[in-house]
Amino acid sequence: MVGMSVLRSAAAFAARLSPLKSGNNAAQLLSRTIPRTDKVAVRFGGGGHGKQMFVVKSTEFYDSRFLRLLRFYLMLTGIPVAIIITGVNVFKGEAELTEIPEGYEPEHWEYYKHPITRWMTRTLFDSPVKDYEKMMAAIQYEKDKSDMRLTKLEVSRQMRMKGDGPWFQVKTPNKDLIHYGHKSTPDD
Amino acid sequence: MKDHDKAAYPEPPRKTPVVDKQTSLPNPAVILSNLFYYSVDVPVSTFRGALDSIRSNNKSVYYHQKFRRVPELVDCEHGDYLCYYEAEMQWRRDYKVDQEIVKVIQERMRACYQREGSSYVQNCAKEIEQFEETSNNFQLRYGDLGAYASGRKCLMKQKERMMAAQAQTS
Repeated sequence: MVGMSVLRSAAAFAARLSPLKSGNNAAQLLSRTIPRTDKVAVRFGGGGHGKQMFVVKSTEFYDSRFLRLLRFYLMLTGIPVAIIITGVNVFKGEAELTEIPEGYEPEHWEYYKHPITRWMTRTLFDSPVKDYEKMMAAIQYEKDKSDMRLTKLEVSRQMRMKGDGPWFQVKTPNKDLIHYGHKSTPDD
Repeated sequence: MKDHDKAAYPEPPRKTPVVDKQTSLPNPAVILSNLFYYSVDVPVSTFRGALDSIRSNNKSVYYHQKFRRVPELVDCEHGDYLCYYEAEMQWRRDYKVDQEIVKVIQERMRACYQREGSSYVQNCAKEIEQFEETSNNFQLRYGDLGAYASGRKCLMKQKERMMAAQAQTS
């Protein structure tokens, strides 16, 4: 190696230590040739996952955003509801069926088994007895209206026929307003 | 867990045969049943026991509602819409009760069939006959009334049945 610089001799010494690496050829050492990409060793390719490549594919951003938001908004109320229902079922269990004791009138919510149903019928809904009575009241109102309409029809029929009632009277003008003056000279 | 009175509809006595082992080899059925017991039955039962001990403080009860009998549609005056309404509600409750009765009888017949296996034709004759009778009567009374069934339509169907029976006898 006569005529080479110190640097080149140092590089040649290092190249002898690992002669099989692709850049350690004697002709290539510290030369200004550009290595071809398909003949050069890949850096950042170790560790099992390989080199990071730029894969060209259609976007998954909108789909994954949709699924992410869907999961979020479902869990937002889903998890509290699941916790509440599990807690109710574990700590306050379902009711047991027993005979009605003598002389005792159970409240309307005591006819249901699950504690959440019992709570709903106790706080949110009217008792079935009250609903029954409300329906009966509505029927009574409609019956009264229908009876009144029937009597009105009958009364107007009678009054029209007989003519002695306050309806179907035609107002005639007052007798005092009639002008009899021209009757005193009938031959005019 | 069924919520009815077990003494009213008792299950038939078990017919498991007495074990008469004549070999010294282990019985695979016993091994499998023990396996099932220890892997499934014991954990589930301990979990249930734990839950019951947690729940034992807040026990509550519920009842079956008993309704008073009111005059039926035939006992109502003409134009008494309140009486019509009460009779209609009572008819609807009776309709539901009859549906459940048919279901109970059907359940008994199916249980009998499952128990007897291939000899159900002679051993289940009573249950089968009971089911046929109840379902026939149900069809006769409530059969083709449809989804908008009402007490009036059922009464009209009964009238038709009576007319057909009278036409047949005379």
